[in-house]
Amino acid sequence: MSSLRALTLFFLAAFAAAAVLASYLTYAASRAAVVSAVDQRIGEVGDAMLSAVAPGDSRAILRRIDAFSRRRDTGDIGFELEDSRGRRIGGNVVLERAVPLGFTTLRRRDGIVGLSAGRAQVRDAGGGLRLITIAETEPIEGYSATRVRLYLIGFGTLLAVVLAGTASFGWIVRRRIGEVRATAAAIIDGDLSRRVPVPARGGAFADQAEAFNRALDRIAALVEQLRGVSSDVAHDLRTPLARLRARLARLAERPTVSGAELEPALAACDDVLALFAAILRIAEVTAGERRAGFRPVDLAALTEQACDTLTAVAAERGQRLTGAPFAPLTVRGDPQLLSQALLNLIENALHHTPAGTHVTVTLGRESETAVLRVCDNGPGIPPEARALALRRFGRLETSRHRPGHGLGLPLVEAVARLHGGTLTLADAAPGLEAVMTLRMEA
Amino acid sequence: MKLLIVEDDRDYAAALREDLAALDHQVTVADNGRDALLALERDRYDAVILDRMLPQMDGAAVVRHARERGQTLPVLMLSALGRSIEKVDGLEAGADDYVVKPTPASEIEARLRALLRARGWQQQGGEGDTLRAGDIVVSPGQHRAWRNGRALDLAKLEFGLLTELARHAGSYLTRAMLVERVWGYDFEPSTNIVDVQVRSLRRKLCGPGEVDPIVTKRSVGYMLRA
Repeated sequence: MSSLRALTLFFLAAFAAAAVLASYLTYAASRAAVVSAVDQRIGEVGDAMLSAVAPGDSRAILRRIDAFSRRRDTGDIGFELEDSRGRRIGGNVVLERAVPLGFTTLRRRDGIVGLSAGRAQVRDAGGGLRLITIAETEPIEGYSATRVRLYLIGFGTLLAVVLAGTASFGWIVRRRIGEVRATAAAIIDGDLSRRVPVPARGGAFADQAEAFNRALDRIAALVEQLRGVSSDVAHDLRTPLARLRARLARLAERPTVSGAELEPALAACDDVLALFAAILRIAEVTAGERRAGFRPVDLAALTEQACDTLTAVAAERGQRLTGAPFAPLTVRGDPQLLSQALLNLIENALHHTPAGTHVTVTLGRESETAVLRVCDNGPGIPPEARALALRRFGRLETSRHRPGHGLGLPLVEAVARLHGGTLTLADAAPGLEAVMTLRMEA
Repeated sequence: MKLLIVEDDRDYAAALREDLAALDHQVTVADNGRDALLALERDRYDAVILDRMLPQMDGAAVVRHARERGQTLPVLMLSALGRSIEKVDGLEAGADDYVVKPTPASEIEARLRALLRARGWQQQGGEGDTLRAGDIVVSPGQHRAWRNGRALDLAKLEFGLLTELARHAGSYLTRAMLVERVWGYDFEPSTNIVDVQVRSLRRKLCGPGEVDPIVTKRSVGYMLRA
C-alpha cells in the first residue's frame, strides 16, 4: 500500500512540475513573440519617421512627430527627440529615464502616462539628435498580470481535476484491494465460501474478481472433496466398528464368557471410535460451518465446569487441578466446541504428566483477547518438539505408549482458529504452559 | 417394544434390526418416508427410529408429517454426521432425541426407554417438584437432595447427575446420555468423567451400612434403583 501511495505522490509531483513548466514556457514564448512584433513595428515607424529627412533637422522631425501622432495607424506610438546631451527637444511623450541606443524594455515606473509595459527604440537621427520611438506591449492595462492570473486559474483547475481523479482512482483501487484482502483473511480463518464481490458494470476489476473467485471455487471444491473423503472413510469405518463393539458388549454379558477378557477388545474399539470422532470433529470445525451458530458465551462458566469435571479425574490419578473461581468473561463462539477445547487442553496436561503433578488453569483478558492458560509442573516438552505436538497425529516419542490419538491439541488449535485465536505451547520451567487465545466480543 | 426403523441403507437397517431383535424388540423396517407414514397409519408402534437423510422425503419432513397427523409417539433421529445444525433442524421438526450413526443398539434402546418414561410423566400431569427413587428424594427446584431424611452435601455436577438418574430411576442411562444431559456436551471427552463423578456421588450417597443405590451395567451405563 505504501508503494501505491508513493507512486501516486510521484505522479502528482511530476504532473505539477510539468504544468508549471508548461505554463511558464507558454507565457515566456508569447511574451517574446509580442516583444519581437512590437520591436519590428517601432523599428519600421522609426525608419518611416526619418526617411527623406535631412540628418539633424530637428524642426522637420518635430513636424513629422506631430503628423504621425494624428495618423490613425501610428497614433498610439510615442516619440521623443533629444539633443546630444540628452535634453528633451520635443515629442508627444516625456521619458524621464535616459535610455541607451537600441531597444529597451519600459515599465510603469518609467513614468510614461498610460503605459504599463512597453518597448523603446533609441536611434541616431543625425547631427547629434536622438529619436526615441515607444510602443506598448500590452494591448490593455494590466494585460500581463491578467495573463498570469489566467494561467494560474487554467493550470490550477487542471491540477485540481488531476488531483481529484488520482485520489478517487486510488480510493477505488484501495477498496478493491481491501475486498480481496478481506476475502483472503476470511479464507485463512476457514470460511472457504467467501468470495470477492464482482463489480456489476464489468471491467478489469470485475474480470480480476471473477478470475480470483474461479480459483477459489476450484480450491473449495478440492478441499470439499478431500474433506468428504476423510469424513466418508471415518464414517464408513465407524459403522462396522460400532457393530463389532456392540457384539463384543453383548458377548461380554453372557455368563459363559469372561467379561474381563473382552475388556481390552472393547477398550480398543472405543479408542478407534474416539479417533474417528476426533477426525470428523476436526473436519467439521475446519469447514467453518459452526460459525453460523456463534453466540455470546460465558467462557468463565464453561472453564469452571471443565475444571469441576476434571478436578475429580485428576484426584483419582494422584494429580492436583486448581482453577476456579474465574471472573466473568464473554466471548462470541460455539459453547460445545469451546467446552471440548477446554477439556482437551486440561486432559492433555493430565495425560502427559506423572502423579503428583499440579495443573493450574487461569483465565484472563489481555486487551481484546481472552487468554486461557493451562500450566503444569511436569516434565514439559523440549522447544523443538512443541510444533510436532500441535500437528495432527504428531505424537511425541515419550507419549506413544500412553492412550490417546494425537488429535487433542490439533482439535484445540482448530477451535481456537475458528474463534479468531491461537494455541501456543510455552515453557513453564519446569513444566509446559498451553496458551489458548480467543477473540473477544466486538 | 414395537419399533419402526426408517432407514434407506439396507445393510445398516438389517444390522440394527438384528441387534434390537436380540434385545427382545419387535422391529419393522421401512426404507422411505412414504412407507414409514403408511406404516404409522396402519399399526401402533411404541417408537420410531428415523434416519435424517432419506431419498425423496427427508427425515425432518417425515416427522413433521407424522406430527401433523396427530402421531405423538417418541421419534429418535439418526444422522450420519454429528452436525449441530442438522440436530436443531431435526428437533424443531418434532423429533424427541437425536443420535449420530453408528450408535449401538443398547444406546438406542436406553434412549427410547427414557423417551417413553418422559411421556409417562407428561400423562401423569407434569414432573412435580420432587423426584423419588427408593429412599432418595431430590428437589431440583430447591437444589437439595436427601437420603433416608439425611441431607446430602453434593457438588453441582454430582447434584445434576443424581437428578438425571432419579428422573429416570429404574432405567439405565448410558454414559453418552449422561454427558449430554448433565454436562450439556455434544462430544465424548477422552477421560472417564462420568465414571469418576458416579464414584464420587456413590461415596456421598452411601452412609455406613447403606446399600449402593446406583447399579452399573458394564459397557452400557448406570441406573438408580427405583
